Amino acid sequence: MIWLTLLAMATLVFISRYIFLEPKLPIRLGPKILHFLHYTGPAVLTAIWAPIVFHQEGQLNLGINNPYFIAAIVAAILAVTTKNVLLTTVLSMALFFIIN
Amino acid sequence: MPENTLTDNSLISPAQAFLKGAVIILPLSIAVIPWGILAGSLAVEAGLFDLQAQAVSAIVFAGSVQLVGMGLIKAGASLTTLLLTTLFLTSRHLLYSATMRTRISHLPVHQRLILGFLLTDELFAVCSHQTRKQFNFWYAFGAGFSFYFIWQLASLSGIILGQSIPNLDQYGLDFAVAATFIAIVLPTIKKLSVLVTVVIALILSVVFSVLEIEGGIIYSSLIAMSIGYAVSIMRKEPL
Repeated sequence: MIWLTLLAMATLVFISRYIFLEPKLPIRLGPKILHFLHYTGPAVLTAIWAPIVFHQEGQLNLGINNPYFIAAIVAAILAVTTKNVLLTTVLSMALFFIIN
Repeated sequence: MPENTLTDNSLISPAQAFLKGAVIILPLSIAVIPWGILAGSLAVEAGLFDLQAQAVSAIVFAGSVQLVGMGLIKAGASLTTLLLTTLFLTSRHLLYSATMRTRISHLPVHQRLILGFLLTDELFAVCSHQTRKQFNFWYAFGAGFSFYFIWQLASLSGIILGQSIPNLDQYGLDFAVAATFIAIVLPTIKKLSVLVTVVIALILSVVFSVLEIEGGIIYSSLIAMSIGYAVSIMRKEPL
């Protein structure tokens, strides 16, 4: 039973990831849909990182005593100025672990 | 664009592209190690045998689904509840899949299946801002596979060690996820509509998180995308 349950979960996850990658799927993503989907990356990735930075252990923290917030500001500045993902990640993580 | 992804990946060898992908995703792979350990130990706690517990990570391969799913199995939830919850948590992958369609759907079937299986938040993060020309199967495979491999090792550690590693969540490793996503998203803000999307997603996701609304990520994303799209149409922004 547990194997079937796991298989069912895996199938659902796989289908959700694969379905639109299948060229035989009789769906044409028109220019309007593609334009809309253009915002997926900025929207979903932000919706994942923002709560990590501002909401920890049930507490909303918008203050400068929040090490996540400080390190995120530094990450943002590095990201915009250097446009280098690895450098930004490594430097801002180093800062985070120093101040946390 | 980050230096590592701006270069035309069609000009480098598969091995080089694979390695580049594996390196670029490394911060994210390291950041999910605590979650992998947690996923492994939770599966054992939920009553699964070691092989089954590893199989969860090997075949389901979705952090949020695994963590919540194991909790439900442990609580004795019905199969219907378990699958509906899975469907809900995995729904954002539909957006990733649709977004990557123009870049992946023309690839051979085995490459499509592999990338589909590996299409996590993290793989989407490192590939989504690439143009069709920059996109390279081996780069994406290198990123996806190395991430998968580290996830398996982390889960295995969790299965073996169980709960004996205390307070893994206290080291703030989740900041690496935030840092990487910030590093990927912010340089792509070149239009007002994208800026509006990011700001709305930021505010709503935090509000939904505080209100403990399940599925806050997908709701805040869809609203932010709709508003960004509307701004772009109203301002007649060029694509």
